[in-house]
Amino acid sequence: MTTPSPDFSLVVTAVPDALIVEVAGDLDRGTGEKLIRTVAERLTPDTAFRRLRLDFRHLTWIDSMGLSALLMVHHHADTAGVGLRLDRRPDFLERLLDLTGTFTYLTGIPRAAGEVPDAGAG
Amino acid sequence: MDRDGGIVEANTAARALLPAAAGGDRPPEDLPDWLADAHRRMSGGLGVTRLDALSGAIGERLFEAYPTPSTDGDVVWWLIDDTERRQAEEILRSEQERAAILSEVSSTLLSSLNVAHCTEATARLAACHLADAAVLVTPAQGPCFSLTYARAGGPVTQVLRAIEPATVPGLAEALQGLPPIPTQWIDPGDIPPWAIPEGFAGPVGSVIVTPLPGRGTADGALILLRPGTARAFSESEDGFARLFAARAGAALSAARLYTEQAGITATLIRDLLPPQLGGVHGVEYAGRYRPARDDERVGGDFYDVHPGADPSRESLVVLGDVAGKGLDAAVLTGKIRNSLHTLLPLSHDHEYVLNLLNAALLRSRHSRFVTLVLASARRRGVRVRLRLTSAGHPPPLVVRGDGRVEESGTYGDLVGAMPTVSARTVETVLAPGETCLLYTDGITEARGGPLGGELYGSERLKRDLTGCAGMPAEALVERVHMLAAQWLGQGRHDDMAVVAISAPRAGPLAVVNGEGRPGKTRKRQGRSS
Repeated sequence: MTTPSPDFSLVVTAVPDALIVEVAGDLDRGTGEKLIRTVAERLTPDTAFRRLRLDFRHLTWIDSMGLSALLMVHHHADTAGVGLRLDRRPDFLERLLDLTGTFTYLTGIPRAAGEVPDAGAG
Repeated sequence: MDRDGGIVEANTAARALLPAAAGGDRPPEDLPDWLADAHRRMSGGLGVTRLDALSGAIGERLFEAYPTPSTDGDVVWWLIDDTERRQAEEILRSEQERAAILSEVSSTLLSSLNVAHCTEATARLAACHLADAAVLVTPAQGPCFSLTYARAGGPVTQVLRAIEPATVPGLAEALQGLPPIPTQWIDPGDIPPWAIPEGFAGPVGSVIVTPLPGRGTADGALILLRPGTARAFSESEDGFARLFAARAGAALSAARLYTEQAGITATLIRDLLPPQLGGVHGVEYAGRYRPARDDERVGGDFYDVHPGADPSRESLVVLGDVAGKGLDAAVLTGKIRNSLHTLLPLSHDHEYVLNLLNAALLRSRHSRFVTLVLASARRRGVRVRLRLTSAGHPPPLVVRGDGRVEESGTYGDLVGAMPTVSARTVETVLAPGETCLLYTDGITEARGGPLGGELYGSERLKRDLTGCAGMPAEALVERVHMLAAQWLGQGRHDDMAVVAISAPRAGPLAVVNGEGRPGKTRKRQGRSS
């Protein structure tokens, strides 16, 4: 907040059955809307993607509006019949998901199984 | 003309202009003085060969006169009719003056959004530039009108009184926004005494009545007066008065609109402001709130204390945080506070209340969620029993008498985003002098510190609170806000809210405001209701 937030960026990669979005920088009100738009544009009801993977390796911060954006992304993915994965979660994201009880809801993974992110968290 | 001023010869135009002079050899009676004087100076042997810008009136027209002396002492005067150019210059000057007046009107009136100030300025400017006196008539309530009187150079007075608009010709029409009646049609004798400012010089000579155009309809009317001794209003002044009224009307209606909106905002915000807290049923409560922007008074954090029906019943404390900032978030806090107020009878089961609130939020069109803490507090003897439930919110901290700071073990889901909410309620007991602190993440996520950009964090908050053992609730919330503010420095921050629930240190219903170790000394240090 006092420090200038690092540049926000979204890198979108499509692999055969998954859409991968790398989220870098701060996820807050303004950038959250960009994430929602990016996902909503690509996940149409007839999409061939089976999975949406958000990669948070370069996420620097998330606030409540950022969490709100994740909930909206989940809504879009759910509507399109696409499963959501939250990959390489930094500690502060992990704490926020824990505090708000949203991890299982967002990913469909019971908390015990979700304790270990599938790739080495950075 | 010869030396003596006699006309020697005149062409046809000159004869037409000065018919009495035609042909004669004597000085004509009707030769204008200014021309006769100039001729005497030319031919008086003073050696004057040039005269500057000689001009004057002959009959109703204006002329410039250019002399050409001849050797025999006669002077040929060339007269050039200048009337049209002078008139054009006159019109130009008056238009320039009017443009300046209109610009003054706009800048004076638009610089203020205060209705009373705009009304006063309109009347003053009208009396100063358009007439000798002006009366501004604006509808108030029922038959009452606000009348603003102004005289040129005099004071402006405003009165509220019941008048009959029909008593001034054209006023009733002007107040309905109908086109004004031409000034020549109004008989000055018809103007009733109420429409004439005090101290107006003599009987009314001429009158203009013009509407002040507002939003869709007229916002009022302007009456301009000149005494009988002065020149009557011309048609062009009548037109100019309408232009003036259009500017003034626009400014007045903007001021009125602003005042209305400001009133609405104040009313709506009153309900969104955090409440004043104090002692309830033997438990001390204190709250502090700082919106994200210091120029705003409301935001996304909120707290309430709902007293139990009697001291044997629990009081419910709510502290919450709606995602987002500013008015948008504040409006949602209003809805949540109202919903929770309605759910009070069910507050023996926090999880149930949270699920009912969750269902209500899911039904609304908001995609926003809220995180909150519910705390039910009841005095038992000298202690306070607490039931605490966090819903996606940082767990409350308990500051014990010995300086230990405990994090309560409650946790739960945020409210308003998922189909159901599960939450774990924990119980704890506060001994006299001990405090439970509820806070929003604006405190722990304050960024700053010696290096800047570092989070204040819950660990630092806990550490700082160990030095606050035994502090009364009011002092503790003040202390926490101060710690966060110091950490922040000049940095931006989110909404910050803190509520403290304390077991008073001595006696029932006593306020604790002193020092000493709780539970050991029982001296009474202060008393309030």
